[in-house]
Amino acid sequence: MSASQSAVRSRAEAVKVSRTFDWMILFTLFFVVLGGYHIHYMLTGGDWDFWTDWKDRRLWVTVAPIVSITFPAAVQACLWYRYRLPFGAIVCVLGLLLGEWVNRYLNFWGWTYFPVNFCFPSNLIPGAIVLDGIMLLGGSMTLTAVVGGLAWGLLFYPGNWPIIAPLHVPVEYNGMMMTLADLQGYNYVRTGTPEYIRMVEKGTLRTFGKDVAPVSAFFSGFVSIIIYFLWHFFGRWFAKTDFISSENL
Amino acid sequence: MKLLKDKVAKLSFVALLAASSAAMLYTPTAAAHGEKSQAAFMRMRTIHWFDLNWSKEEVKVNDTMTVTGKFYVFAGWPETVDKPEVSFLNVGIPGPVFIRQGSWIGGQLVPRSVSLELGETYEFKVLLKARRPGDWHVHSMMNVQGGGPIIGPGKWTTITGSMKDFVNPVTTLTGETIDLETYNLDNTYFWHALWYAIGLAWLAYWIRKPMFIPRSIAIESGKSNTLITATDKKVGMAFTAGTIALVAFGMTSTNAKYPITTPLQAGLLRGMKTFEMPAKTITVKVEDATYRVPGRAMQMTLKITNNGDSAVRLGEFNTASVRFLDSAVLEDTTGYPDDLLAEDGLTVSDNSPLAPGQTRTVQVTASDAAWEVYRLADLIYDPDSRFAGLLFFFDAAGKRQMITVDAPLIPVFI
Repeated sequence: MSASQSAVRSRAEAVKVSRTFDWMILFTLFFVVLGGYHIHYMLTGGDWDFWTDWKDRRLWVTVAPIVSITFPAAVQACLWYRYRLPFGAIVCVLGLLLGEWVNRYLNFWGWTYFPVNFCFPSNLIPGAIVLDGIMLLGGSMTLTAVVGGLAWGLLFYPGNWPIIAPLHVPVEYNGMMMTLADLQGYNYVRTGTPEYIRMVEKGTLRTFGKDVAPVSAFFSGFVSIIIYFLWHFFGRWFAKTDFISSENL
Repeated sequence: MKLLKDKVAKLSFVALLAASSAAMLYTPTAAAHGEKSQAAFMRMRTIHWFDLNWSKEEVKVNDTMTVTGKFYVFAGWPETVDKPEVSFLNVGIPGPVFIRQGSWIGGQLVPRSVSLELGETYEFKVLLKARRPGDWHVHSMMNVQGGGPIIGPGKWTTITGSMKDFVNPVTTLTGETIDLETYNLDNTYFWHALWYAIGLAWLAYWIRKPMFIPRSIAIESGKSNTLITATDKKVGMAFTAGTIALVAFGMTSTNAKYPITTPLQAGLLRGMKTFEMPAKTITVKVEDATYRVPGRAMQMTLKITNNGDSAVRLGEFNTASVRFLDSAVLEDTTGYPDDLLAEDGLTVSDNSPLAPGQTRTVQVTASDAAWEVYRLADLIYDPDSRFAGLLFFFDAAGKRQMITVDAPLIPVFI
C-alpha cells in the first residue's frame, strides 16, 4: 500500500473505522477533561465544593458557577464549531462529577473517613444540559453566553437545594443554634481547616435580608456570562488547525 | 549490545516490581502532625500550653474522653506571626478519628473562631467521642489566622471497637432525631444519580450517531445545516425544558418537606473569659541565656526576687510544651507524655528556698534530648533568635506561681 492509497477498502470499513475513532476521541476527551477540569475546579472552587459547611447562600452560590463554567464553555466551542455537537458542557460536567465522586469516596471517605454526607460534590448537571440545549437551539455563541451563562448561575442553587436543604435544618447544640451542616464541620475534625478559613455569609448584601441567594445567583450568572465568552474563545483558539498543513491531510 | 539491553530491561523490571511491592506491602500509619517541624520560636513564643490532662489513654468507639488544660497567650508574641485576633481552638488528630462533641474556653462553647488577648491565660476543655479504632496522637491545638496551626503537646490514645458501631445522634429543632453519620446520604445519592442519568441520556442521544469524522467533513464541505435535524431540536427542547421543570420541582418539593431551614452560622466570638492566675509576687530578670549546641542544654542566668510572704523554689521550666523539672521540687503525677517530660532536666545552681524579700542570681540549666528530638535547638536558625517559656515556682505549701521569661538566646558552638 502506498502513502496515497486509502487505509480502508469499503464504505462499511470506513464507517467502522470512523466509529472506532469516535469512541477513541470521546474516551480520551472525557478523561482528559476530567483531569484538567477537576484540577481547575479543586484549585478555584476547592473547599466550597468539599464541605457542606461551606455551601452557603452567598459565596458558594457566587463562586462555584463562575469558576465552573470555564471548561464547559471551551469544550462546547470546540465541539460545536468543529462538529456541531452540542454536548461540550455535559461531557465536561459528567467527567468532573465522576472524578469528584471517585475522589470524595476513595480519598475523603476511604482514606480519611470523612462521611460522604459531609463532603459530596456540588451538582452542576442542570446548568450543563441547559447550556448545551441553548447552544443547540440557538446555534449562537452570544445567545449561549448571555442566556446559557445566566441560566448556569441561576440554576446552580436550586439544582443543589434538594441535596443540601436537609443539612440546613437548625439544631440547638450546647446552648448555641447551628445548622446540621455547621455541626458536621464542628464534629468531624479537620486539623488543617479551622473555622475561620470558611468563607461563608461574608459580604454586604444585608439589605436583601434572608432572600440573598437569588441576588447572589443573578450576580453569579452575570459574571458567568463574561467567563463564558473568555473561555469560549480559549476553546476556539485551542480547536484551531492552523498548525496542520492541508497538504498533509 | 542486545544482551546489555536485555539485562537492563530485566533489571529495570525487577526494580519496578521491588519498588511496587515495597510500596504496597509496607505502609506504616502516618501518625505525626509535623509538630517537630514547626519553627521553634513559634512553639516557644506564641501559645504556652500547661496543666494538660487527657482523661483516658484507652477509649471504646462511642465513648468519650476530654482534653483539658490552660494556655497562656504569650505577651511577647513574635512580629512575624499574626496576632491571635482570630483563632480557633482545635485538636490535632489524624482526621476525624474522634468527633469533637464540644470545646470550651473559659466555660463558653467555641464552635466558632475566637479573639484572644495577649498576656492572658485561658482555661480550655475539648470533649471527644471515639469513632475510628487505632492508636492516635491527640494534640491540643490553636489555629491562628495568619499564623497557622500552633500545636500543643500530644499524647497517644487508643480507640478500641469497630467503626461500624459508631453513631452520632442529634435532635434537630424540628424535633427529629437523626444519626449525623449517615443522615441525608440516600437523598444525596438519589439526586446525584438521577441528574447523572439525565446527563448520560443527553450524551447518549448524541453519541449514538456518527460523531467526529463525518460531521467534520460535512462542516468543511459547507453542509453544517444538515447536521442538526428537527428531531434533534425537539429533543434539545425537551431536555432543556425538562431540566428547568425538574429543578423547579426539586426546589418546591424540598421546601415543602423542609419548611424550616436556617443559613450557615458564622461569626467571631469576642470577650472570652480569662483564667485568673495567682497574683505574681516573684520577679525574674534574665541576665543572659545561651544554648550549648554540643550539650543540648540551655543555660540562663536569672536574677530572682521574691516579694511574697513565703519562701519559693523553682520547680519547672516549660517551653514549647517540653517540661524541664527539678524532681526535688516537683514530680509530675498527671501522666504527661514521657517524650515531653524531662523529669530531672532542670538544674538550678542554688535552689534552696528563696526567702521573702530576698534576691538571688542563679544559673539555671535545662538539658534534655528533647532539645534535639523536638528540634527546639533549631531556634538558633530562626529569624528572631529569642527564647521564651514559663517558670513555675512553688512554696512549701505547694502554692504555685507562673512567671514568663523572654530574652535573646546566644548559641554556643564550641
